[in-house]
Amino acid sequence: MTPQTAKRINIAGLAITLFTLFCAIIWAFPIYWGIISSLKPEDEVIRPYIELWPDTLTFQHYWFALTETQIGKWYINSIATAVGVTILTVSTSMFVGYAISQLRFPLRQPLYWLILASFMVPTQTLIINHFVLIANMGLLNTWAGIILPQLIHPVAIIVYKQFFDQVPRDFREAAVMDNAGEFRVLFKVYMPMNWGVTTALSIVTFIWSWNAFLWPFLAVTKTEMMTITVGITQVNDAFGVYYARQLSAAVLAGFPVALAYLLFQRRVTQAITLSAGIKG
Amino acid sequence: MAEISLNNVSKSFGSVNVINDVSLTVDAGELLVFLGPSGSGKSTLLRMIAGLETIDSGTLTIGGVESQNLAPGQRNVAMVFQNYALYPHMTVRDNMAFGLKNIKLPASEIDKRVADAARILEMESLLDRRPSQLSGGQRQRVAIGRAIVKEPAAFLFDEPLSNLDAALRVRTRVEISELHQRIKSTMIYVTHDQTEAMTLGDRIVVLNDCKIEQIGTPMDVYTYPASRFVAGFIGSPAMNFLKVEMSGSGDSMVATLGDGSRVSLTITVPGSGQYELGIRPEAVRVTDGKGDTSGTAKVVEHLGDRTLVYVALKDGTQITAQDTGRSTLVAGDQVNLTFDTSQLHLFDESGKAYHSH
Repeated sequence: MTPQTAKRINIAGLAITLFTLFCAIIWAFPIYWGIISSLKPEDEVIRPYIELWPDTLTFQHYWFALTETQIGKWYINSIATAVGVTILTVSTSMFVGYAISQLRFPLRQPLYWLILASFMVPTQTLIINHFVLIANMGLLNTWAGIILPQLIHPVAIIVYKQFFDQVPRDFREAAVMDNAGEFRVLFKVYMPMNWGVTTALSIVTFIWSWNAFLWPFLAVTKTEMMTITVGITQVNDAFGVYYARQLSAAVLAGFPVALAYLLFQRRVTQAITLSAGIKG
Repeated sequence: MAEISLNNVSKSFGSVNVINDVSLTVDAGELLVFLGPSGSGKSTLLRMIAGLETIDSGTLTIGGVESQNLAPGQRNVAMVFQNYALYPHMTVRDNMAFGLKNIKLPASEIDKRVADAARILEMESLLDRRPSQLSGGQRQRVAIGRAIVKEPAAFLFDEPLSNLDAALRVRTRVEISELHQRIKSTMIYVTHDQTEAMTLGDRIVVLNDCKIEQIGTPMDVYTYPASRFVAGFIGSPAMNFLKVEMSGSGDSMVATLGDGSRVSLTITVPGSGQYELGIRPEAVRVTDGKGDTSGTAKVVEHLGDRTLVYVALKDGTQITAQDTGRSTLVAGDQVNLTFDTSQLHLFDESGKAYHSH
């Protein structure tokens, strides 16, 4: 490499780095703005110009959200429903993915096509049907009512199917020769080979479910049964919109997910890569 | 130790026939080798015995029990796979114990069997390692250990040495042979390597094109190949095949080679006409005398104990001959060749073999 080319590459590298930094600032600014605004008094928030740092730093909105609302219950509802959705989605997807990948049964291929086809149906188009069904079942304002319609995750099935497809067939045959039944093959041979897939899918499903808004918003009308994402819409009162208060509740709502993401960063990236290949 | 017998067994994948009406018996305690080229059906036949492939028609009995409809785990056979198929997340000990836990043997019995197998295979120090921490040879030994602990009626080996380097392959081959002598269990061994087949097998089953070409002891198969295919497949360097015109009758038949040389044979064939003469390189000797035919040495390979000479006869036919290890021949030399008439074979158009007597 001549000094000239090295220099050219350095300049190009610097330009790319600066551009990336610029994009990162654009991306991160709303988060920064949200957090800063939640720490300003309400009258400061509605000033008609941009102030990057509050004149008066206050935690009163956080205090309000934590003491004057039912945020504790909302957290519990969110945790319960997100954990429920995660466990049920991951376990059912694992079984379905295994069956489609490894077992031979009539209509296996059509079943797989059906799962693939379900990608083409946006959840929003089914939401009225879901509402009527759940209402008829008497499950509105219950955890089950929030959980059930969220269990449709073809991506998880396909990720599992692809993972099982990639395991060399020798392992299955060795296990079958070793007298292992299907459950033992699945839980003792296939799953432990790569818990990473399950961990990654669990984290992403949990985050999806935690962030879900539209369905929990429809399925719940009682304040004490709301999930945190729906609950934060309740911090206003009859006298108008309180932006800082709403933003403080939003920060509190997003906090566990941000924490989960920071703790399991590598796994989340892996899961997004796994499912991105499928979503195309 | 159990006898295994296949009676009129067939198998197709869709419209493709992969095993065609095969019958054979593996004697109790015997090491039988399935030998054949890729696509000959040898692995499929083994997998049918294991239960990993279904049997379309015919019966399979293992130790007197009709087994063609039994699940693989119920056939009381153990298989050693080409790629070892060791569970990567389990230690060597857990790999060996997995099959025994599945049949709910008491823990003490499992420990005893694993310890015994580890002792037999000299791998006590490896028991707590994972497969990724083992060399290819050690992995193969664990795979064999996993089979041994099951104390099966028969062992099935599916090309177990293919992934090992040349030196390790020879060593593991000897170990398998020793193991067989020690535990005296019935073993079926699939390979495409004729050296493995010749050195390991009590008997060899040569398969080609979905059917059995010949069953016999290694020396039988080598000395009296039943067909042109077997003659060409067994032996390295391969047997020479020369087009000949047969004349005469009874015990005084004469073969005329392409270059006009005439060789008297002690082979009885049904009639005169076109045949192929088969002769192994070690039965074609370079001689100072007149010999049966002559030609020009094209390539000379010194192997130390012997010298292989690739000779072009006058009509252009290529023939591989053998000379002593201290041969002074060089490419381009004229050589006279003599045939050992006791080791000649004739093959008719259908490939059927006739041997010297």
